[in-house]
Amino acid sequence: MDPFTPFIVSVALLFIIGLGCLMVKRDMVRLLIGIEILFNAANLNFVALSLQTKGFIDPFAHSIVMMAIVLDGTVIAVGLAMALNVYKHYKTLDIRKLRRLKW
Amino acid sequence: MVDPGSLSQIIQFPLPLAVLLCGGLALPIIGLLAERAGVGRLREAWMFIVTAAALGSVYLLYQQLKAAPGRVLVVTLWGQRPPLGGCFEIDALGIYMGGSIAFLGFLVALYSFKYMERESRLTEFYTLVLLMMAGMTGIALAGDFFTLFIFWELMGLSSYVLVAFLKNRWGPVEAGFKYLVMSATAGAFLLLSMSFLYGMTGTLNFAQLAASLHGSVRTPWLFVLFSALVVGFGVKSAIVPLHTWLPDAHPEAPSPISALLSGIVIETGLYGLTRVLYLLFDPNFFQLSIAALAVLTMTLANITALLQQDIKRLLAYSSIAQIGYMLIGVSTGTAYGVMGVFLHVFNHSLMKGMAFLSAGSIVHETGTRDLKRLRGVGRMMPYTTFTLFIALLGLGGVPATNGFISKFILFNSAIGAGMAWLAVAGVLNSALSMAYYLRVMKALISTPEDEGLKVHEAPALMVAVTVLMAALVVVFGLYPAPVISLATRASRALVDGMSRYIGAVLP
Repeated sequence: MDPFTPFIVSVALLFIIGLGCLMVKRDMVRLLIGIEILFNAANLNFVALSLQTKGFIDPFAHSIVMMAIVLDGTVIAVGLAMALNVYKHYKTLDIRKLRRLKW
Repeated sequence: MVDPGSLSQIIQFPLPLAVLLCGGLALPIIGLLAERAGVGRLREAWMFIVTAAALGSVYLLYQQLKAAPGRVLVVTLWGQRPPLGGCFEIDALGIYMGGSIAFLGFLVALYSFKYMERESRLTEFYTLVLLMMAGMTGIALAGDFFTLFIFWELMGLSSYVLVAFLKNRWGPVEAGFKYLVMSATAGAFLLLSMSFLYGMTGTLNFAQLAASLHGSVRTPWLFVLFSALVVGFGVKSAIVPLHTWLPDAHPEAPSPISALLSGIVIETGLYGLTRVLYLLFDPNFFQLSIAALAVLTMTLANITALLQQDIKRLLAYSSIAQIGYMLIGVSTGTAYGVMGVFLHVFNHSLMKGMAFLSAGSIVHETGTRDLKRLRGVGRMMPYTTFTLFIALLGLGGVPATNGFISKFILFNSAIGAGMAWLAVAGVLNSALSMAYYLRVMKALISTPEDEGLKVHEAPALMVAVTVLMAALVVVFGLYPAPVISLATRASRALVDGMSRYIGAVLP
């Protein structure tokens, strides 16, 4: 078996879990957690594939993952701040109540 | 011990990006000083200086590029040659996008001095605008995928907060949260596609990716990569199944921000898609799927726009339709088609920017966005309405406006690439779109129902900006040669000059 298969499979599973979380969950904080899972799946893929190409552990992928963790952390922070503002107006964190803007 | 001289040689930034980033980071301090010392217009003056300097430095960079060997400037971040580490690779296309961004940013900054006057938290507002412009400029000049991703998130973060800027009302907050969730998911798709690219080639540098992936065998992973890229870039550029955040976010944002978002942010998404697709794949790989997305985007957006009662929401749907026209050019795979795309990017930034700014003036004076309640307002705000009319006619593609030129080139390129059905769909959509543009015009000049309606003309600065843009729309419609020559150079750098690009970056 290719040594990368378990990693690729778990990345795919994490990605599906994250997307499922985004589709099914109603709580805004859980949606943000779903986004975090998606980012982590991509990060895991980077780390796993850093073994593959050059025969040694490529530090390039690791530096990218460090930066990506910071970036998605800031996105989640802004998202939480926005969820707080939504709560102030709607008195709920239920995403299905955010339907006042008509399409 | 590193002496400062050599440090400044190691850490290099392209000039426009450095100007915008430093300007944005210095603005909180300047804002604080202005509040403490009670100097009235210090923030606005700084904003004016920084945006004007960004425009000037794009021109300087263009002069530098003309002299560079191979017409590609490579700016390394940590003194490492391109395949290692992050870098900026500046070609004619990057300069062209950077110029469009700086130009619209400058006009919008002028407009927002008056428009945002009554709001609080202006320091944060101007800081975020500068950082958003810095993010877009960084995307346009980036030389590897990860640098692009960092600036992508910078642009995204500032635009989420700017959409939800008026947080004491429910509309912007709801729109901002939707925008954030969808865009952040798209960012995760982008990161995933980056990790696959890294796994396939061991690098993220654009030139090396192009050298190793162009013309390679079609494996299933290539299709996974393609769809992840389309989702990742497609949400930001509002390609139709992924567009649902846009009609909420663009109307709810403050009007200068709507103009920036519709005029240039979604086009930056499209720029990213175009550049990456042309770097990684052969045109016949993505031709049909992008063409199908183009037809879907145009048709659905135009039909939905017919139903809108809200003037800014109508303009937002029209933006989606324009993205559809641009996708026609992307799908052709020829330098002529891509030239049409980038010509339309510039023209659309002028026209849609002007449309949103004029609509913003109307909203600013009347306090409503409902077309029914705006009946007859045009008689009381003649200059603003006149500029809005020119913008709408340009968006519909009436001859003698610059929208006609770029649409003509786009449809022509579709016929040239042997996809006449695509051109037919485009022309039909263009005709359909006139229906709702004319409806806005009719509402604005018809007799007011409410006799007591009293509206004044917008403040002089706001009118001056929109009139200037209207003049440019007509000038570039009658004399398009300078922009066309720039756009031609930009598209050749992307489509025809690939081997030269690779050669210039990788010695």
